[in-house]
Amino acid sequence: MALSEIPSDAELVERFPYANIDHDSKALYTGWLEKRLRMNRCDDCQRFHHPPKPVCPSCWCSSLVPSEVSGRGTIHLAMFLHQGPPAPGVDYEKAPHPVVTVELEEQEGLRFTSTVVGCAPEEIRIGALVELDWVDRFGAPFPVFRLVGSR
Amino acid sequence: MARNPIADEVAIVGVGSTGFSRDSGGRSAKALACEASIRAIRDAGLGPGDIDGLVGAAEPGGPQPQEMSAALGLPQVSHFSSPTPVAVFALVDAMNAIYAGSCDTVLLYFAYTRLPWNSRSAAQDPFRRRHTLGVMPAPESVNAAAAYAAWASRYIHEYDVPREAFGRVALNARAGAKHNPLAAMKAPLNMEGYLGARMIREPLCLLDMDVPVDGADAFVLTRTERARAITKSPIVIHAATVGLVGTNDEDQLPSLARHGQHVVVESLRSKSDLWLEDVDIFFPYDGFSIITLGWFENFGWCGPGGAGRFLEEHWDEASGRVMIDGRIPVNPHGGSLSEGATRGSGHIREAVMQLRGDADARQVPGARNALVGCGGFFFNSQGAILRRL
Ligand SMILES: [Zn+2]
Repeated sequence: MALSEIPSDAELVERFPYANIDHDSKALYTGWLEKRLRMNRCDDCQRFHHPPKPVCPSCWCSSLVPSEVSGRGTIHLAMFLHQGPPAPGVDYEKAPHPVVTVELEEQEGLRFTSTVVGCAPEEIRIGALVELDWVDRFGAPFPVFRLVGSR
Repeated sequence: MARNPIADEVAIVGVGSTGFSRDSGGRSAKALACEASIRAIRDAGLGPGDIDGLVGAAEPGGPQPQEMSAALGLPQVSHFSSPTPVAVFALVDAMNAIYAGSCDTVLLYFAYTRLPWNSRSAAQDPFRRRHTLGVMPAPESVNAAAAYAAWASRYIHEYDVPREAFGRVALNARAGAKHNPLAAMKAPLNMEGYLGARMIREPLCLLDMDVPVDGADAFVLTRTERARAITKSPIVIHAATVGLVGTNDEDQLPSLARHGQHVVVESLRSKSDLWLEDVDIFFPYDGFSIITLGWFENFGWCGPGGAGRFLEEHWDEASGRVMIDGRIPVNPHGGSLSEGATRGSGHIREAVMQLRGDADARQVPGARNALVGCGGFFFNSQGAILRRL
């Protein structure tokens, strides 16, 4: 992303009306606009953490680098919403909406939560391998998962 | 033994409740809090001039301590605070304030009001519609309430637990509520009814979630020494604690084997002279049924993943509820699932009523010690042991 394209804080808030963005998490959402999933990584001990915090919880270093992760991982938690907040493309009446927490391959215990697209609900199981994909939500990219091999 | 100088030094000398319903009939949360508070202060045989501390749980839509002081005309207080829910945060604050000498006698209150985001009928009330949540969150979140459904999926995966395990928590609660005049949900419930209930956040259904209600509980606490002048056998806080682990973001929680409940159990056990073998009534929180299963396992009534089997083995067919070793009832008032979503104040109130011998049809004969496991896994795990001196 060229420097001129870096969104202002006001624009970032506008692009993600459903997110509580603050100074600690703005790099995460700025990454989404480029379809990159970036998580805070400590410049000192090299450990990732999520959600974004102002210091590294492992070593208290405040030099944190938003670093791209592959988005590949394993489903750790899986639930299906039969009702919930409204969102574009989500129709609870038609089918329960899957919400999964995925343990990313980069680090044990590093997890990211989203939905799974492109498969039947019964295929969404704890332990299944997934990879990252992007859909549109309110005109901005939104990270989701697909089962590996379902593309 | 951990240091616990406060053991048995603070007593609960007054209890008041409005009872709970799906609709309070146009009464404000402040009106409900006042009714419960006046009942509790009168129950203690005290008046407004005796109250010099005011602690009210910061429930959404509930009154602030200064509003309650003004409404009740309390002449002066030297300690007031509004701890975050659930109930034992406020109990611990009141207890500590009394023991430290910040004040002598605390009015502790909890007021609950259904809000537009958890009650369809509340959303129709023009007065309640103005309580808004700010940003409308995305569905893809395991924050707050959703966390329990997400981790229930993991629990089922790791231990191959059938839905009936969760169902027994709901059935036990409903069986208790039947005998509790304060309870909101009294219609009979059987396992078929549980299994047929509407899914909300699968794997959890409607009956795995506490029921939003209007209502209030209040308590009066004072120094045990002073309580002895009021009553022959005061109900005291033997030990109370909260518990938190470092990584407590809901989706980053390391595992079901290490979270806030484990810290609570270790802390409580190290502070207490009493443990499971001494307990006459058990009060595991049930904001979500998975939390209750967690408390059974983490207190050590059974091993990890074993709560469903434990409930089945200790099930009393005649009364349709759990009786541990045929002797120890569990949430006999109906818990948050059936009395109403009191976020723990109902559990504490029932513990006090039972220990006083005032629980009427629900009374456990000779009950002396009650164990409370309040709150869930992430950032509101807490526990208390109450006893009759
Ligand atoms: Zn570090």
